Amino acid sequence: MTPDDPLKAADSLRPHRFDGIQEYDQRLPNWWLLTFYGAIAFAIGYWLLHQHFAGPSDAGRLRAELARIEAAKFSTVTTLDDATLWQMSRNPVMVAAGRVTFNATCVACHLSSLKGKEENPLAIGPNLTRQVWIHGGRPTEIYGTVTQGVLIKGMPTWGPVLGARRISEVVAYVLSYHQEGEPSGVAPSTGPAVAVPGAPPPTP
Amino acid sequence: MSDRKITIEYNDQIVRQFMLASILWGVVGMLAGLLIAAELSFWQLNFNLPWLTFGRLRPLHTNAVVFAFVGNMVFAGVYYSTQRLVKARLASDLLSKVHFWGWQLIIVAAAITLPLGFTRGKEYAELIWPINIAVAFIWVVFAVNFFWTLQRRHEPTLYVAIWFYIATIITVAMLYIVNHLSIPTSFTHSYPIFGGAQDALLEWWYGHNAVAFFLTTPVLGIMYYFLPKASGRPVYSYRLSVVHFWSLVFVYIWAGPHHLLNTALPGWLQTLGMTFSLMLWAPSWGGMLNGLLTLRGAWDQLRTDPVLKFFAAGVTFYGMATFEGPLLSIKSVNALAHYTDWIIGHVHVGTLGWNGFMAAGMFYWLTPRLWNRPLYSVALANLHFWLGLVGILLYVAAMWTSGITQGLMLNATTDNGTVLAYPNFLDTLNTIKPMMLMRVIGGGLYLAGWLMLVYNIHRTVRGAQAVNGTVEVFESTEPAPERLGLAGTVFSPPVIFSVLGTLFACAWMFGNDFLKLAGLFGTGLCVLLAWANFESGRRQWGVWYDRLLVSALPFTALTFLAVVAGGLIQILPTIVINTAQNVEDRRQIPYTPLELAGRDLYIREGCYLCHSQMIRTLVPDVLRYGDYSRLGESIYDHPFQWGSKRNGPDLAREGGKYPDIWHFRHFENPRSLSVGSIMPNYPWLFTQRTDVAALPAKISVQRLLGVPYPDWTPAEIQAGVEAQAQTIVKGLRTEGALTAPDREVVALIAYLQTLGKSEKLAPKPGANPDHDD
Repeated sequence: MTPDDPLKAADSLRPHRFDGIQEYDQRLPNWWLLTFYGAIAFAIGYWLLHQHFAGPSDAGRLRAELARIEAAKFSTVTTLDDATLWQMSRNPVMVAAGRVTFNATCVACHLSSLKGKEENPLAIGPNLTRQVWIHGGRPTEIYGTVTQGVLIKGMPTWGPVLGARRISEVVAYVLSYHQEGEPSGVAPSTGPAVAVPGAPPPTP
Repeated sequence: MSDRKITIEYNDQIVRQFMLASILWGVVGMLAGLLIAAELSFWQLNFNLPWLTFGRLRPLHTNAVVFAFVGNMVFAGVYYSTQRLVKARLASDLLSKVHFWGWQLIIVAAAITLPLGFTRGKEYAELIWPINIAVAFIWVVFAVNFFWTLQRRHEPTLYVAIWFYIATIITVAMLYIVNHLSIPTSFTHSYPIFGGAQDALLEWWYGHNAVAFFLTTPVLGIMYYFLPKASGRPVYSYRLSVVHFWSLVFVYIWAGPHHLLNTALPGWLQTLGMTFSLMLWAPSWGGMLNGLLTLRGAWDQLRTDPVLKFFAAGVTFYGMATFEGPLLSIKSVNALAHYTDWIIGHVHVGTLGWNGFMAAGMFYWLTPRLWNRPLYSVALANLHFWLGLVGILLYVAAMWTSGITQGLMLNATTDNGTVLAYPNFLDTLNTIKPMMLMRVIGGGLYLAGWLMLVYNIHRTVRGAQAVNGTVEVFESTEPAPERLGLAGTVFSPPVIFSVLGTLFACAWMFGNDFLKLAGLFGTGLCVLLAWANFESGRRQWGVWYDRLLVSALPFTALTFLAVVAGGLIQILPTIVINTAQNVEDRRQIPYTPLELAGRDLYIREGCYLCHSQMIRTLVPDVLRYGDYSRLGESIYDHPFQWGSKRNGPDLAREGGKYPDIWHFRHFENPRSLSVGSIMPNYPWLFTQRTDVAALPAKISVQRLLGVPYPDWTPAEIQAGVEAQAQTIVKGLRTEGALTAPDREVVALIAYLQTLGKSEKLAPKPGANPDHDD
């Protein structure tokens, strides 16, 4: 099946015909053989690298990267206090950015008026414009409520999803409906708590 | 001489039937595709009807184009070419008829059951178990008819097309039967016997190789017959046929795990899936080269002949798809592309470009020969080609753009990589909406081209006289050429070196210390010895192969050996290893009866076709959806629901993310909570009642499969369902939503709220979580 002279082989037909179909017996193209052998060599090398001289696994790499992210996040939270958040709420750029996030993320439950249930009983979230707060009305308390969520009431954990900067902006936007120093009371929870099956928070 | 001349009339009636069926089902399958593509752009298009939703019609689309359109096309091509290549009429007219009508009945049954929500919940394996049995039976009928015909052949040597047909028939039988093993709970419902990662591995061993051995190998065989016939040119290279056939059938089987890269699937399987996909590139391109280079000297005919236009473009698309496949199998590329439209684009290069164009070329070539009348309009066929080509290019370009855009947006982070740049999944979806619309236009053009084929062939055939081909053969009394017996087949250098090499490679892969080294050494030695033997005795290898080609049974046995190896080596260790130990650090909590009922609704509605349940070991996935999914978190999932496409967000840790009322309102109208959502409304979930009566049978089957359910009586199951449903309904009522506890929406909410729940286990002593194995 293999005439050794490539020139002679170039157009030699095999003797057999199948329903009139004939076959040449050309040499395999070198570049084709190269990709074939190259892929096999790569496969052997890749297997050796990953299964014998095992570097970190996918899960290991992921854990390292998540630890770096967590550390980076800690560094941004330390400066936040009530005064800073009140300052942010008076900055038009911060409030505008917060409005964008709010309208994309929060309006489903709190409505674009921020009035939530009080405007439409079908809405899930409470009114954010009143001076009575269910989970505390100090800026850092609001910040904590947004970050950690109140799962039992339907407030998701926004921290891992939005990140510190966007949450500061959203809190600034909500605070822009309020005045520093205004009276702020804590209301008892309205309505019996709904039993929502608990689950681990979205990120470790 | 005592030769007696006889005339054989081919059974071309069956070819005509399969061909017309393929053309018809092609229209149906493409229409379904067009509708579901349009539904992604306009969610209203299901008209609030359950049986028109994307989740139920997507299986109809895939099953119709794969098994009905390409299936019938393949049967037509195989039956036409095989009879001529072996100079024998099909062995049995009865079997041919049973094959044809049985297959059409199966298709009709599928077209009825899938929209009604009867499904097994595994992609391309959705049909319910009674239909599975029918498919297996009809496939055996096909096999018997085919091999019986080979046995009666007047042409001793098997041509390369026949090799591919043999590989198709035995491999599809193997894949189909193993992936459809399940235990029925009723006449219309069953649970697959494997769960979680095992089920995932089996599913994609099947799913990937359905592409390989249903959409590729038979069509390669068809190419090897029809392309030389239509161009009048000899096949480019016989030895390329030999090398690419054997490497293709051996390597293809191993590549399945590339559908599960970066998931909870064990690392060694992911490595095999990726590397074998890369090794598949050259064997695939061997087929493309043999097709395109056969056209050397015939390129001028392309200007006028629509048949050769379709074939040349079809083979080129095959080359594109088989280059893209290995590319997408590289883990880092896959991290971007998986779950996005890029994969959809990749698939359609293959189906629209390769399968659809090869089918069109073959039909335009066959019609004048089967009805003895020239094609009604060559110009119309040429127009079909250009319209189809533009359609494919629009479709594929749209899906590439859409997939890469969405992948980049989903993976983008900001603030020094600490938070997602686009936290809202809908942002990414809104960005690609124009691309989704362009896909509809591309698909529409392709279908318009196909309708031209329907019209063209209808006008050609109308009133024409069907003719059957004939051939004159000599009934020879001369002895048949010497065939290879069992010993001659097995004790031959090619077989011995291949088997030993594979065994040594297994020892290297799985062995410890000494065995590993011995395996590595043995594999290398086998390769060297085989090379030396081949170089010293080239003629013997050639003579042996020539003898193998006149021996159909040994050839079939060796093909089976080649395709079974990869599956055995990947699947056996995975199912033999005790699942309870191989769970990483989490173990799933079995579903309550109500949650199980909800899960079956999730499967019925085809939710898995848009929502994955697999958070990959990738930072953006974890930031978006929560901690990565562990192997043990789906061990009781029969079938697994890891998904393959995210038209919506992942749901692996959906439980507890939102309150019950959120899901309730979301099922009523997703847009009330997620502005711009493309998910349909599900009003029927609020009126239909959960099928609690079916639960005792379902739970007893789950127990049989190893899910640790207590031995509940039907009354206890009923009581458990009612208690949990009442709790959910009461909670909903306090939020102002009224519903009865027996409604399907309650069961589905119960299921969604349990997703991601597992018990933590102490890590195995000595195990190093940071390393593979």
